[in-house]
Formats: sequence, C-alpha cells, structure tokens
Amino acid sequence: MLFPTVEYALFFLAVLAVAWSLYRFPTAHKSFLLLASYIFYGFWNWAYIPLLFGISLFSGLVAQRIQRSRTVLARKCWLAAGVTVCLATLGYFKYTGFLLTTLLQAWGRFAPPPHIQINSPLLPLGISFFIFHAISLLCDCYRGKVREPVNLGDALLYVAFFPQLIAGPILRASRFLPQLAIRRNPNSIRVNRAFLLIAGGLFKKVVISNMLATRLVEPVFAVPQSFGAWDTLLAVYGYAAQIYCDFSGYTDIAIGCALLLGYRFPRNFNAPYTAADPQDFWRRWHISLSSWLRDYLYFPLGGSRKGKVRTYINLMVTMLLGGLWHGAAWTFVAWGGLHGFYLVVHRLWSRIGWHPLVRWRATAAWRWASRILLFHAVCAGWVFFRASSFATAFTVFGRLTVPGVATLATGPVLIVLFLGLAGQYMPPRWRNGLEIELGRWPALARGAVLAVAIATIEILGPTGVAPFIYFQF
Amino acid sequence: MALVILGFLAAIVLLESDGLASWANHLEIGPLRTVAVPVTAAVQKTLHPLGVAAIRDRALEALARVGWTDDAALLAKAANPPRTCDLPGASGCATSPSANNPNPASTSGLSAGANTPDHNAHNSFLNAPGARTPLLGDVPKTTVLTPLSPVEAGKPRVVVLTGDSMMAVGLSAELMREAAGDKNLRIVKAFRSGTGLARPEVFNWMDEYPAMLGEVKPDVVIVAIGANDGQGFVVDGKVLPYGSEEWRKVYQERIAEFLAMVEEGGPRVVWVGLPPMRGHIYDEKIADLNRITYTVVSQSPQATWWNTASYVGDDAGKYREFVTLDDGQTIKIRSSDGIHLSDEGAGLLTSVLLKWLDPPAQPANGATAAPAAAPAVQVRPAVKHKRNVHRKAKG
Repeated sequence: MLFPTVEYALFFLAVLAVAWSLYRFPTAHKSFLLLASYIFYGFWNWAYIPLLFGISLFSGLVAQRIQRSRTVLARKCWLAAGVTVCLATLGYFKYTGFLLTTLLQAWGRFAPPPHIQINSPLLPLGISFFIFHAISLLCDCYRGKVREPVNLGDALLYVAFFPQLIAGPILRASRFLPQLAIRRNPNSIRVNRAFLLIAGGLFKKVVISNMLATRLVEPVFAVPQSFGAWDTLLAVYGYAAQIYCDFSGYTDIAIGCALLLGYRFPRNFNAPYTAADPQDFWRRWHISLSSWLRDYLYFPLGGSRKGKVRTYINLMVTMLLGGLWHGAAWTFVAWGGLHGFYLVVHRLWSRIGWHPLVRWRATAAWRWASRILLFHAVCAGWVFFRASSFATAFTVFGRLTVPGVATLATGPVLIVLFLGLAGQYMPPRWRNGLEIELGRWPALARGAVLAVAIATIEILGPTGVAPFIYFQF
Repeated sequence: MALVILGFLAAIVLLESDGLASWANHLEIGPLRTVAVPVTAAVQKTLHPLGVAAIRDRALEALARVGWTDDAALLAKAANPPRTCDLPGASGCATSPSANNPNPASTSGLSAGANTPDHNAHNSFLNAPGARTPLLGDVPKTTVLTPLSPVEAGKPRVVVLTGDSMMAVGLSAELMREAAGDKNLRIVKAFRSGTGLARPEVFNWMDEYPAMLGEVKPDVVIVAIGANDGQGFVVDGKVLPYGSEEWRKVYQERIAEFLAMVEEGGPRVVWVGLPPMRGHIYDEKIADLNRITYTVVSQSPQATWWNTASYVGDDAGKYREFVTLDDGQTIKIRSSDGIHLSDEGAGLLTSVLLKWLDPPAQPANGATAAPAAAPAVQVRPAVKHKRNVHRKAKG
C-alpha cells in the first residue's frame, strides 16, 4: 500500500476515525494502531508479518531483560545478544546473495568455483528500518534513556507503527515510547501543519520525483551511451532532485499522518542541498539515519575522542557501513566511502588555521562557492548510488565529456528540476505563514483547499505510481 | 479536525468522481472491487450533471497539449483533437471511414488512438491466427530464430521493444546498451511497466502501442509481456476468474489481437517467453500463460515464441538465481524480487538477440563475394549449446 494511492487514503481515513474514537481508552487505541500497522504491512506480503512480530517481540523482551539486569556485565551481554540477533537477521535477509556472489566471484579468480543452486532469501519490505528500530530500543534501554519499564505492547507498536514502518524516519525509542505513555489529545493536533506536510510530500513525490524519474533519469541511467554531456549532466542533477523529493516526500507524508494520529516524528530533511560542507550535509540529509549512525556506531567506535587518525578511520567505517545499509552492492559501499572521504577531507581542511584562509572561509562568496562545490560532490556520489554497476557509473561520468545536445530538456522537466532543487531555498517562514493563514479559514474550506491541492497533484503527476526509492532498503 | 476532513471528503469526491470510478475499475478482481465499482459509479452518475469532474479531463488534455504528460495515447489525442466531424451530432461530414480519418491504417484500428477507438476493427483481429486454436501442450525447449535478411548499408534495422516490466527491467536497457553505437540497429522503446494484455480497461495496448510507435515502421518487434496477466477480469459485466475456460478463451483472443497488431506492416516478431519465477504458485501461472501465448504465436509465420528458460532456468528449466559462466565468474541473473531479470541475467538473452539482429560480418573471401546470409540462431538449453551464446553459462 503506497502512500500516494486511493487504497492508502481509504485505509488512513478509516484508521484515523477509529483511532480517535478510541483515544479515551489508551490500551484499545494502541492495540488498534498495532493491528492497523500489521494490516498495512500485510498488504505487501502477509508472509513477513511473523518476522516483524518476532523481531519486535524479541527486542521488547531483551529490552526488558536489559532494564532488569543489575550488573553492567549482564546488561552488556543482553545488549550484545539482542544486537547480534537483529544484525544477523538483517544480514541473512539482505546480504546473503551479495556475500555469496562476492565470495564466488573471488573464488572464480583463482579456481573454478562450485556450482551452487541456492536462492538468496527474499528481502522483506522495510527490514532495514524495523531492525534499526529494534536496535534503538535495545541501545536506549542499555544507556538508561528509556526510564520507564518497557511495555511489550508499546515495544511492538514502536517497531511496527505504520507511518514509519517501510522507510522511516527512524524513531528513537527514548523519544517515541514516552509518547505512547500519555493519552492523546485531539485538541492539540496541528491539523494544518499535517495537511501541509501531506500535500507537500505528495507534490514532491508524485509530480517532481516521478516526472524526473520517468522522463530524465531512467532513460539516461539505463543507456548512458546514448546521451551527450548536457543530457547526462541534467540527469545527474535530476537524480539529486529526484531522490531528495522522493524520500523527503515520503517522510513528510509519514510525519503528517503520524501528526494527525497525535504522534510527533522527528524531522528527517532540512534543505540538504543548501549545506556548505559535508558535515552540515549529514545534519540535513536523512537526519534520523545519520544521527542513528552517529549515536550507535560512530560514538561507540570512539568518535573523535581517540586522536585524529582514529577519527578519520571511524568516519570512514561509519560511512562505509552506512553505504552498505542502503543496499547490498559495492556501488553503495563506494557511495558511502566517497562521503566518508568528503568528511575526512573537510576535517583536514577545517584544521588549516592559516589566517587569510580562515578570513576567506567566512565570506559569503566562499559560502556559495562551497555550496556549489559540495552539491557537485554529492551529485558524484549519487551517480554510484543510482547506477546499476560501476561500469554504468563510469560510463555516466565519461559521457559528461562528450558533446551533444540536450534532448531531454523539455519545459516540464526543467520546471520540476528547478522546483526540486531551488525549492530547498524556500524560507521556512513561508510554510509557517501558510499554516497560520490556513488556521484563519473555516474548517470546511480548509478541507476543500486540501482536496483541490491533491486533485491538482493527481492531474500533474505522471500516470501510474512508482514505488519509493527507499522502499528497496 | 472532523470538519476539515468532512470538507476534504466532500470536495475530493466532487472533483475526482471520474478518477475514483476509474480507480475502482482498475482494481484487481476481488471484494474491494466488487464494492468499489458500484459505489463509485453511483457517485459518478450522481455528480456528473454538475460538470465539475469534466474539469479534470479538460485539464489533462490541456496538459497533454503543452507536453506535460508522458501518456502516449493522451499525447496523440492532444495532437489530433476530435474534429467537428468526429463529434456526435455533427452534420455535413462524409460518412466514409476513410473520409473521417485520412490515415488508412486506422481503418484496422491500429492507429485509432484514444480519441477514435474502433472496437469493431479490434474485433476483426479475432480472426487472426491463433485466436481460436485449441491450447497446445508444453512449450518447446528449442527455438530457431530463422535468419533475417542482411542489413542494407545506411538503412539500420528498426527494432521495437515492447511489453511490460519484463521488457522494461533489465532486458531493454541491456539490449540498448549493447546495441549503442551499432549503426545497423535502431532501437525504439514502446514498453510500459505495470501493464499487460489481460486488463485493457487499465492499459489498452491496442491504443497505446500505435501511439508509442508514431511514424516508426519496425523491421523487428521484440515482445516481453504478461507478468501481470495472471488475474481475473470482467467482460460485459461478468467476472471471469483467472484460469477459467472463458478466461483462457478471452485472453487467447487478446493475445491474438495484440500479435496481429504488432505484425501489421510485416515486421518479424520475437515473443520472449516469460522466464521461470521464484514463487511456486506464480511460476505455475506463468507457465500457463506461456502455453497460451505459445499457442497463439506458433500459428503465425511472422512470429517466433522464444523459450527463455533455456538460458535463465536450470537444467530442468526451473528458476535459478546464480549462473557460473565459462570464465569462472558467478553472476546473479535475477533481481531480488524473484520475478525480473537482473542486467546480467538479461545479458544472457540479449547476446543471442543481438547476434540474430545484427550478425557479425562474415569474412570476405574476395571482392566479388556476395553478402552472406546470417546464420540461424538455434536456441536450446544453454547446457547443450554453450557455443551459440556470447556469454556462456554453465548449468
């Protein structure tokens, strides 16, 4: 059940109505949301509900054991056991095929490899996200950030809550579980904000992302050999806009839906292409993942507390694993490695204390130059992220040097590309102003405005519904 | 919040009553559709006199005129808006179909487009070979792609790729990548993911294919379609469950119609049989669909049904995920969904197709040597005929 479908709209309206009718009865309310989440997940494949349920239950039980353990050693053992099982599950479903292929390819370089006839397991939808939720629950309990005893029902709902189940944002147990402990208040919902998020997310996904995908990015990345420099450059820019609009559109809808149900999700994107350095970029791009990797991987590795070289190694390890989390392919590892390299170079660059350079770095001209430079560095990373193989990625880079006319630069494509990239410079006060302005309108009129917005999006979007890019992760 | 949602529901139903009815009709046969179709139809009928829903159609047409849409049929419709003569009640127009439509091909319904659907013409395809042929047994494991005439200098062979995601994912991109720079081939894309031949009310290939082709006259058409067709459909208000006798009859007719359409103008057609699938139930459906398409395609002298299981299946023609090539490299030939081919898996097929479409030049034996005819490419299980493919697979 994809967000931009009538099926989801009907499902969500039904859930909204029932959930609010039960808000005075917290247990029934949460039980209903859990049931709705399993139905939502079951729309794709009922076969994986036991896995989702099993991981949620397991992490809830281990979290309880961590909280009840009296010694540090026992807490550590429970944490290690819980995280190991979670990562082993993720590894089995997501990386078996990748590891097998890599192993057999390496084997084939030295001797004839064995003929194997096994199939790698089918990848359950959203496994990377719900496993990370489970690990967050374990780690937050270990660190004492979850103060109240973990309730198993709450743990199940935390991992499976449908707005974030398939592609995040990745919630922290320490911030979400307390929300489950308090009774919902229908009068405290920022309905206008939720509607703006949903409409904005739909526009980004259905109009901008889908059009860029079908009319610019897919043709070029499928057969880069057929396109010259202008088309290739546009497609690379187009993919930067597409993936941003696709993923931030999804999370905007998720945040808006959760808000209507009375739950607050963290912000996941904050105009990432306005960043002027790689560190700033990762504070703005997929914030819930980058902060998860920082808190549960980079810091435990030692962060920046163990000297310069160790810091650089930690950065590289974190980003390489972050790349691998996105997909079981070496191109994703290369993407992560490239970003690790950017972070290391930026650290080295920032340490240069030559006075004229420090002064120059503070100028507006440098800020803009560094934004442009970083944007192109990020785009170079996206080529590896999007390409199906290294050969395709290098062909794309190669085509940037081949003269040719821009055959794909049609009016609609250029308009949505501009909106996708320049839209990030839209001042936040505009959306806040719109939210306040909407608040002055009669309720029925506000609903009608939302309906007009959604009907317009439906008309402007290409036919068919493309799945969200991040669903594959 | 309740009032806002009420306002939203009222306005969206008013604005999108046509869209909702269309959504309901596109649903898979099942309980949801059974409920949704009459409800949305009643809403549509009630609200239609208000004329609000017509705004949507006009907006879509206006967007198509400025090139916003990617729907080939809609673009064709916008490029050739209905003339006065086409409108109901118009007077002073010739009654001859050829006077109404100067394109002679449209009399057979092939370029009718969305604006002039000619269902009677479509029905004429029911006499196409294979439409009524009793279902044949197992599909052949061996296929012979008889040689094409040599490519004339300066006149590239026009190859149209058509179908659903079985063509769009892996196969088309791999073929186009490998053919890039080959001056003897011109590849034309005419495929669309998420479509099929079972549900023309969802995506009507009889309208869309001619619109996608435009003025292109193909020499070869490669078809890979049917992965979404294992579902029931409705004919004249009657639900035909998947696999029933009536379903098979109608589906066979639809295959025959489509084949007759793509054969219009005389191109050679290669119908790529669907590969074995990972899911057991789905695999059985696909095998069944393959038997139906084979039954129809085998009746046409212009078309060849090609069994891909010879390449991407195991020794028994069943699903396999990995293949070890002769050079020792192990490749993953299926995508993670267990349905589509990976790029490397598609490469096992495209190497054969390219060899057939543009065979390597024969070594010249003298200045007067006549152009040699291309060799026949015999497609058999890869284990037995490794030498016929560029990328040789071990079983």
